Amino acid sequence: MRIAFTSKGQDWDAQMDPRFGRTDYIFLYDDESEETITENNTEIQNAAHGAGPQTARKLFDLSPDVLVTGNGPGGNAAEVLKKAELKIFTGAQNMSVKEAYAAFKEGSLTAI
Amino acid sequence: MKEVVVISGKGGTGKTSVTASFAVLGGESLVIGDCDVDADDMHLLLEPDYSNREDFYSGYMAVIDEDKCISCGKCREVCRFKAVAAKDGLYRINEIDCEGCGYCSEICPADAIRMQEAFVGEVFSSKIKSGARMIHARLKAGADNSGKLVARVKKDARTAAERDGRQIILIDGSPGIGCPVISSLTGADYVILVTEPTPSGIHDLKRVYQLVQKFSIRAGLIINKHDINSDAAGELRSFAGDEGIKILAELPYEPDFTKAMTEGLTVVEYKNEGLKKLLASAWAAAKNELNTEENI
Repeated sequence: MRIAFTSKGQDWDAQMDPRFGRTDYIFLYDDESEETITENNTEIQNAAHGAGPQTARKLFDLSPDVLVTGNGPGGNAAEVLKKAELKIFTGAQNMSVKEAYAAFKEGSLTAI
Repeated sequence: MKEVVVISGKGGTGKTSVTASFAVLGGESLVIGDCDVDADDMHLLLEPDYSNREDFYSGYMAVIDEDKCISCGKCREVCRFKAVAAKDGLYRINEIDCEGCGYCSEICPADAIRMQEAFVGEVFSSKIKSGARMIHARLKAGADNSGKLVARVKKDARTAAERDGRQIILIDGSPGIGCPVISSLTGADYVILVTEPTPSGIHDLKRVYQLVQKFSIRAGLIINKHDINSDAAGELRSFAGDEGIKILAELPYEPDFTKAMTEGLTVVEYKNEGLKKLLASAWAAAKNELNTEENI
């Protein structure tokens, strides 16, 4: 299973970014190969509008099965993500990526 | 560090008057962010010193290179914003009308049109009269607020709060439910909704609350001018009850609200002890809610 996190940094100890569209990084963990990938998304700061759908596009290139984030995507991004049959879990703000992964494993996050 | 965002859905409900009052009540413990950049009014009440300023660029604008232009007029034909002016065979982009779509640049046979980042205004970091820091912005005429600008104001506010060890970031959010509001809300710990008992006040509150719910952020409500329509005020109370929104204050209709503003004062600095008391207790209630950890 490939799990994507919205994060403020590039490793397991980085803080989660509560935002979806304007997240600084996407941190991806493949729990079968135990491989991690970090996608730099900081360029999104230059997008005046439409940050959500643009980040969704970037996310699809990583083909995740699950997205773990804070507040959750806005209307337009949610619409796009729904089509990809991605499972989305929210409520992972104010934690590190490591803690968010543990919370996801425990089932203490909110599925939307 | 916690972030509180004040929004209203509808304009004219007293959102900024309430936010500016909270800014004064919170004193130096706060960093303030004015994300209502289309109608940035907090500076009128809080006396910022404009000590730091930076240019802000957002979106794109077409620019015609006169040396390369062959005056074919194709750009003018395709521009759906009528932003290309022609005079004596010379073509020029009207800055106000150009939306930055890039169509003209794409089709120009002489490759004479380039898209450059548009200068839309300035971002300020100021000290205000309470001693706190405020991040605010001013757009030039015809420029739009954007998620980008809101994210920038919030980022600068967070950096200032971290640097100066401030506990609360208080954000005056933008109106409506679009991109700037989404950018105002994401990352917030608590939302204060300010509304009035009118049909549009109720309608716009419900609409913006859907967005707050989508982001799973807890909210409190301030009903301003609660006594101008008791039926509508009742509807607001039962909406809040059904949704689990705590009512932080009900403020009466009071001309002193406007009088304070015309004197450049926040309501809590004006000689109306009743209003001051209500707003102080609303701020205390909001802070209390902010410090309760449970999330919905």
